[in-house]
Amino acid sequence: MKRQGLLLTVLAVALLGGLFAYGLLRGEPDRDIPTALKGKPAPAFELPVHEHYVNQFGETLSLEELEGRPLVVNFWASWCAPCYDEAPVLQAYWERYEDTGVVFVGVQTQDRGKRAEGRAFIDLFGLSFPNVVDDDSAVSVDWGLFGVPETFFVSRDGVVLDKHVGPVTPQVLDAQLAALLR
Amino acid sequence: MQLELGVVGSAAAFLAFAVALYGAVAGVLGASRRDPRLVTSARLSAVAGFLVATVAIVVMESALLTDDFSVSYVAQHSRISSPVWVKVVTLWAALEGSILLWAWLLSGYTALVAAVAALSPLRPWAIAVMQGVQTFFFFVLAFLANPFKVLPNPPLDGPGPNELLQNHWMMAVHPVLMYLGFVGLTVPFAYAMAALITRRPGAEWMVLTRRWTLAGWGFLSAAIVAGGWWSYEVLGWGGYWAWDPVENVSLMPWLTATAFVHSVQVQERRHMLKPWNVALILTTFALSVLGTFLTRSGVVSSVHAFGSGPVGPAFLAFFVIVVLVSFGLLAARWEDVKDRAELDSLVSREGAMLGVNVLFLALAFAVLLGTLFPLVVEAISGDRVTVGPPFFDQVTLPIWMLVLLLMGIGPLLPWRKAEEQSLRSNLAWMLAGLVVAGGLAWALGVRKLYPALTVGLAGYNVVSLGLLLAGALVPRMRLAKRPALQVLRSYAHENRRRVGSMVVHFAVVVIAVGVAFSAGYRVDEQVRLDIGGSAEFEGYTLTATELFVDPTAARVSAGVLVEVRSGDRFVTTLRPRINVFPGSNRGIPTPAVLYRPSHDLYLSLNSNVAPGTTFVVLRVVKSPLVTWIWVGGALLALGTAYALGGSTRRVAARVSVPAAAAREA
Amino acid sequence: MTGSRPARLGALLACLLALAFGLAQAVQLDSRVFEIARQLRCPVCTSESVADSSVELAQQMRQIIKDQLEAGRSEREILAYFQQRYGDWILLDPPKRGIHLVVWVLAGAAVVVGAGALAVVGRRWVGRSRQPIAVDPADLERVRAELQGLETDPDAPEAGLR
Repeated sequence: MKRQGLLLTVLAVALLGGLFAYGLLRGEPDRDIPTALKGKPAPAFELPVHEHYVNQFGETLSLEELEGRPLVVNFWASWCAPCYDEAPVLQAYWERYEDTGVVFVGVQTQDRGKRAEGRAFIDLFGLSFPNVVDDDSAVSVDWGLFGVPETFFVSRDGVVLDKHVGPVTPQVLDAQLAALLR
Repeated sequence: MQLELGVVGSAAAFLAFAVALYGAVAGVLGASRRDPRLVTSARLSAVAGFLVATVAIVVMESALLTDDFSVSYVAQHSRISSPVWVKVVTLWAALEGSILLWAWLLSGYTALVAAVAALSPLRPWAIAVMQGVQTFFFFVLAFLANPFKVLPNPPLDGPGPNELLQNHWMMAVHPVLMYLGFVGLTVPFAYAMAALITRRPGAEWMVLTRRWTLAGWGFLSAAIVAGGWWSYEVLGWGGYWAWDPVENVSLMPWLTATAFVHSVQVQERRHMLKPWNVALILTTFALSVLGTFLTRSGVVSSVHAFGSGPVGPAFLAFFVIVVLVSFGLLAARWEDVKDRAELDSLVSREGAMLGVNVLFLALAFAVLLGTLFPLVVEAISGDRVTVGPPFFDQVTLPIWMLVLLLMGIGPLLPWRKAEEQSLRSNLAWMLAGLVVAGGLAWALGVRKLYPALTVGLAGYNVVSLGLLLAGALVPRMRLAKRPALQVLRSYAHENRRRVGSMVVHFAVVVIAVGVAFSAGYRVDEQVRLDIGGSAEFEGYTLTATELFVDPTAARVSAGVLVEVRSGDRFVTTLRPRINVFPGSNRGIPTPAVLYRPSHDLYLSLNSNVAPGTTFVVLRVVKSPLVTWIWVGGALLALGTAYALGGSTRRVAARVSVPAAAAREA
Repeated sequence: MTGSRPARLGALLACLLALAFGLAQAVQLDSRVFEIARQLRCPVCTSESVADSSVELAQQMRQIIKDQLEAGRSEREILAYFQQRYGDWILLDPPKRGIHLVVWVLAGAAVVVGAGALAVVGRRWVGRSRQPIAVDPADLERVRAELQGLETDPDAPEAGLR
């Protein structure tokens, strides 16, 4: 009984201790959370366009208009700190990949009534890819957003290939864009 | 030379660590060598340690109250414009300060044990164990999370504590109660360890620590209910318990402690279940250490957590050591501890106590499972799952019903074996109570299962309490030929434990009914009210009459005056508001509650209030019987306090009590 | 939103303090909306339900629930709507399949094991009380002899009786 008890104790402690050590060590990685939309058609939307892009795209931009082209759809908000980290990265990659046929679309969401702040955000980073306004966050819900920033990668056929939660990094964009353009 | 407060505080923390370490070592050496000088020295060091810790507390409070921003904790968490009470509670508003509070309370308990605990071979070991635990906490305080660090360039002002912690006076009460509870449960743990070390695992230590255990349990119960009420008053969604991981870790030791409070009586009476009792108290302490780890490590995400830092690994190491040493020792001493347990029958008080234990352990396991499951899944497969309130509710509610069932019949069962005739008649009365109460509820429109069942079980328990009292009082009345009230008074005076437990059980019933109805029949709506306009809600007419702004030194409130009418009759004016605290531009919606015995009307602002706002959006909630939970909680605390006044020794005066009365005791 | 720990803590705090600043919609929501919302997890503040959370996304979800109720959808259809977009995870009470089944199985197993243990242990302990304790016959003889000695010699010390 004594031997069994001791062994049991050590085993239980080892398991629990290991579990909690894992919990301590894992931190908060930017993991690609599997999205419920993976492999499904991207939900349609038609949203008003920020004034910077009206000349090029008209008053509204719809998903339909972008049919046949691979998409990088990035959701952001003016109050979202990591969005400020990823915006220059997105802009840099847009400039590189603009001619490959990929379209980057930014969606300002969960930012009700904050169009002016959105404009300031775009101005700050000189974003030249189209940005639209999802004022009532309905599109957020349609795409199954958990927060901002989140970036979706949509194939030419309009199917959601993957989603990245958290600010995008060059490594992520390299990998995802390679997959998109395959 | 001006001595910086930070330096004094750091020195005090370090000294407290050194004293605790000395006390632990001296205590262990003195107890094992039976050296009375070392033992006495250790006892004195316990008192000295408390004094030193008190110096640390006083230094911190002085720094807070004099806005001394050279002390790092003050610079990070305090603010000049905060009112005095906020500055006082800032002591425990953040991680380092909370550890200081815990360590100080622990040193206080240790000093108290050293000063007043009965002389016994266990005492020096128990004090040594407590000082060992203190050593850890002061180590963390002095070396890992020192709030007294001196800042060479102190800022001119600080951010102030988290706004949510300034918003309600309960901040001054709930954390202190909670720590008094956790720390209080260290005492029976220390005695259990002492019993194992000295190979005297008899009932001795349980009797010695009965009061401490009950007090710790009482504080923990009060803290949990107080925490629920605080959430209710502050968080804006009209609820009081969310099965949040931090809430769960405060519940788990309470569950095992409740099991212990019951099974220890079997130990006292029948001298059995020793290994079980020892294991229970070790588990309770381990769970409370687990609780402090989870709250301060960032391992589980919770709105209540303190966050993380270097403290997390230290608490994990402490948890591992505590469990290894305590359970290892139990396993090593198993031959000494195990006893020959025998029951005459499961249908007896012992059987009921066993049942209580099984049920509460089941509850504790369910809560532990649900709390840790997401972490386990993530560790194994990387999947993210969450276990939400529906799991906890669905798994624990049936067990709670069984608890209520057992609570009614248990006290009526005699020790050893229930006599069939009286058992049957008691059960008949109680089941009648169940059916009548349940039927009445059904007739009055209660159709949901759990509320109806809870009312039925409430009736069942009330009948049970009546039978208990009648069984105790009627023979006394007959023999003493005195009126009921007098007999009741003298009975209550002589049997504080019994009467205290009756009050506590009654309080549990009250709380159960309150929970069942406030959860099952709550009505939420969101209404838009134009200023000057009205809306109907559940029989009330709510009229938003005007906006108001109420600036005080502590905070600026902006809200709306809502007149509440029932029919034509004016009831009250409620002021749901948004509080903005200095140093932050975030508004805290602060609800307004109308408390009534039958239900609460709860209003919370869901829209911004600014000059020129023409309408407000209010979240309105009607929760039936929610007040019963807080009232029940207070009753529970009172019952526990009353029971604590009783004597642990079988009073000699019992001999004079007539045999008939003695039979049911 | 994931990211650095300060950002995550900031998000948690925001979950407690969020409000609809700016233009609040004139949303009149009845209790049915909240009953459904209470079954959905808020995607941003994952420890709160959509009924309790005050972040914008949750407000929008409540609006969607309201619109769908007005369009005549049933509770099940509305829950399925969110499930399609967010996966089983969005339901506070997810269907008991896949990984979610495990926790229920464990809980059930614990009940079975606990009840079984109680039955086994209880039976053993009750059985024990029926068996006489085995005593060495030599000890019994000794006790008998000493008792006899006491009865014949009233002045014998009472040590044995203590």
